Amino acid sequence: MKRVLVVDDFFNFRLTIKNMLRSFGIMYIDDAASGEEAVRKLALRRFDIVLCDYNLGSGKSGQQVLEEGKFRGYIGYSSIFIMITAENTAEMIMSAMEYQPDSYIMKPFAKEVLEKRIKNIAAKKENIRDVERAILNKDFDSALRICDELLATNPGNLSEIMSLKGEVLLKKADYPRAADFYDKIMRMGNVGWAQLGRGRVELLRGNYERAKDIFEYIISHNNKLMPAYDYLAETLLKLNNAQEAQQILMKAVNISPRALLRQKNLGNIAYRNEDFKTAETSFKAAVEQGKNSCYKNSSDYTSLAKTLVHCDNAEEGLKVLGSATKEFPNDNDAQLHLSVAESFVYTKMNKIDEAKRSLTDAQKLAENMQGDIPSHLALDLAQAYFLTGNEEKGEAIIKNIVSSNHDNEKALDDVRMIFRDMGMTDKGDALIKTTRDEIIRLNNEGVKLAQEGRLTEAIAYFEKAAGQLPDNKIINANAAQVLMLYMRETGVNNEYLARAKSYLDKVRKIDENYADLAALLVMYRDLCTEEQYG
Amino acid sequence: MDNKMNFADILASTLHDTKNSLGVLLNNIDDIIVSCREKNCDRHAEFYAMQYEIQRLNNSLIRLLSLYKAEKSQLSANIDYQAIEDVLDEVATTHEILLNSRGIHLYTESEEGLFWAFDRNLVAGVLDNVINNAFRYAQNTVKIRAFTENGYLVLQIEDDGRGYPPSMLINENKQPEFKQEIDFKTGSTGLGLYFSLMVAGMHVNNDKKGFISVMNGGSLGGGIFSIYLP
Repeated sequence: MKRVLVVDDFFNFRLTIKNMLRSFGIMYIDDAASGEEAVRKLALRRFDIVLCDYNLGSGKSGQQVLEEGKFRGYIGYSSIFIMITAENTAEMIMSAMEYQPDSYIMKPFAKEVLEKRIKNIAAKKENIRDVERAILNKDFDSALRICDELLATNPGNLSEIMSLKGEVLLKKADYPRAADFYDKIMRMGNVGWAQLGRGRVELLRGNYERAKDIFEYIISHNNKLMPAYDYLAETLLKLNNAQEAQQILMKAVNISPRALLRQKNLGNIAYRNEDFKTAETSFKAAVEQGKNSCYKNSSDYTSLAKTLVHCDNAEEGLKVLGSATKEFPNDNDAQLHLSVAESFVYTKMNKIDEAKRSLTDAQKLAENMQGDIPSHLALDLAQAYFLTGNEEKGEAIIKNIVSSNHDNEKALDDVRMIFRDMGMTDKGDALIKTTRDEIIRLNNEGVKLAQEGRLTEAIAYFEKAAGQLPDNKIINANAAQVLMLYMRETGVNNEYLARAKSYLDKVRKIDENYADLAALLVMYRDLCTEEQYG
Repeated sequence: MDNKMNFADILASTLHDTKNSLGVLLNNIDDIIVSCREKNCDRHAEFYAMQYEIQRLNNSLIRLLSLYKAEKSQLSANIDYQAIEDVLDEVATTHEILLNSRGIHLYTESEEGLFWAFDRNLVAGVLDNVINNAFRYAQNTVKIRAFTENGYLVLQIEDDGRGYPPSMLINENKQPEFKQEIDFKTGSTGLGLYFSLMVAGMHVNNDKKGFISVMNGGSLGGGIFSIYLP
């Protein structure tokens, strides 16, 4: 028995669709007149099929219903989501970011077309279920095998399976094969996802100049393929060209302004570039668009408030934070974030008492969270400590962040930014340097042990270090590597294999795109095969 | 501040509005036809005629909106692999009932397991227009064929009507620029062809560009429309 939810702001249209559905035997039908109502209904009951209009008047759009439904897990993988649109959908498809519907259907449509669409999608979902499951289990080899088996049968959703296969190759970090695969597809047509995939291969490989060329080529041939802008900006940041990255994202939001995550990203880059006017515009857009979105986040408000301080409009910044407090009533993370930001704004206004009061609020919240504080928040909290004169506490937090991210230029840049904001650039640089040197020394000592062939000692050394620095990917990667080197020499053993895997999992969790991860995974897989056949 | 609105923008937003109403109207007529059929009502056929006209209007509006976007250079092709059998099947489903109501049979014919990369919406829009015309001119048969030729995918629609007038014929010799005068007397604005040419031209691959051909004759002896996609 299929349950269907019909979402449209026009009563007549809902009625029409419901009649269509009844005519092909679907009896359990519910409807919603707005995006908000749709999300409420999705939260209460699981629907097998959602037919949702893209344009729902004021309030949430169809895309936002989809995002929130998927984000919150109301719309499962097996549910079918069809977006109903009034016009050509090419732009929506090309600008959609994280979540895409199973299909777009253009109004008006015959009921026979709708029925066929639903049947086709159900069949396709069936054939890629096993691939999705294998990906979820990180069993990429099986996922690839199933993809190839499916592709050999020329299924109706060939394109979907091919693009899935590309994603698996990227996840598996098998870059040469991924590059070949995308090249082959591009020889047959200018398929957008294949071009993007080809660029991503180079981005992941660290060939930034090459990646830049590819993304620029894509944009010059199709300026509506929005993810190309995001990848190009990411590439430019890797090339230390934050100015150009900002220009690219400004172009993108000009073409397609309704993209919350891109607005945030642009705001952050502009802030870093000290272009506070652009940052203000972007963060304002993020706050505005966030009102109907599951991507709503307290950081949009705090970033806007900080930006306003730089625009000499601290009063306005306080107002923004005030309104945010009401937007996130029972969210500890958010409240902590807001109190810290408030403390920052007051400091900049030279209202030290108020600043200290806000920080005390923040401290209470932080204590309740028992050390489980997200890293971006930790950074803000450290800043507040510095600004209110509690350097010791601030320093401890910064050291912790730097030692977890000693080779992560972006994270270190964030730290530098915070100090620059406080007019303490030198102090920040010094703190980063000493902490970083300490970690490098620690790491080098372990590496030296390994190079001298003292692998048992190296294992003990890195495992201890990984215990102290659980969020440092290099230390974790080296712990895995020495375990594996040891097994290469002395033979595979299950216990060590499991430990190596747990370190690799950790590395993947910290940074899925870590350059050395691919080689380590290959090494790990080889050992696994040896264990199987050896 | 400049309060003057661009007339083209006003037109476009009005078109959107009109198109929404047409959508509701079209579906209402669908329902009426179903209940009419059940009750064996003898004015059945008249509703089909209405449905046809509305569909024609709707196609014109889609075309106009696409051309408007192209004019503002907001239109770009979203190229992806399509299962040709799927595409033809959906186009056929959209038109079958209406064509059948006039005693016209619609056939589709495709190489098995054929896939091609192109913008499905735009190309389906072209096919919709041509088939919609065939409704007026075909006698018994409309055939949609898909095959490959010299590195192009050819989507071809043939009918057994009296064929296209000489002024509308387009072939390899008379191809590139479309400069047909708009003929208000006959109501044939040629916009359909203009749209088809534009869509074909938006498909470029390895220095090859899409094109269309409009001829008469073929296996059914009527009009033959073909769109070639690289």
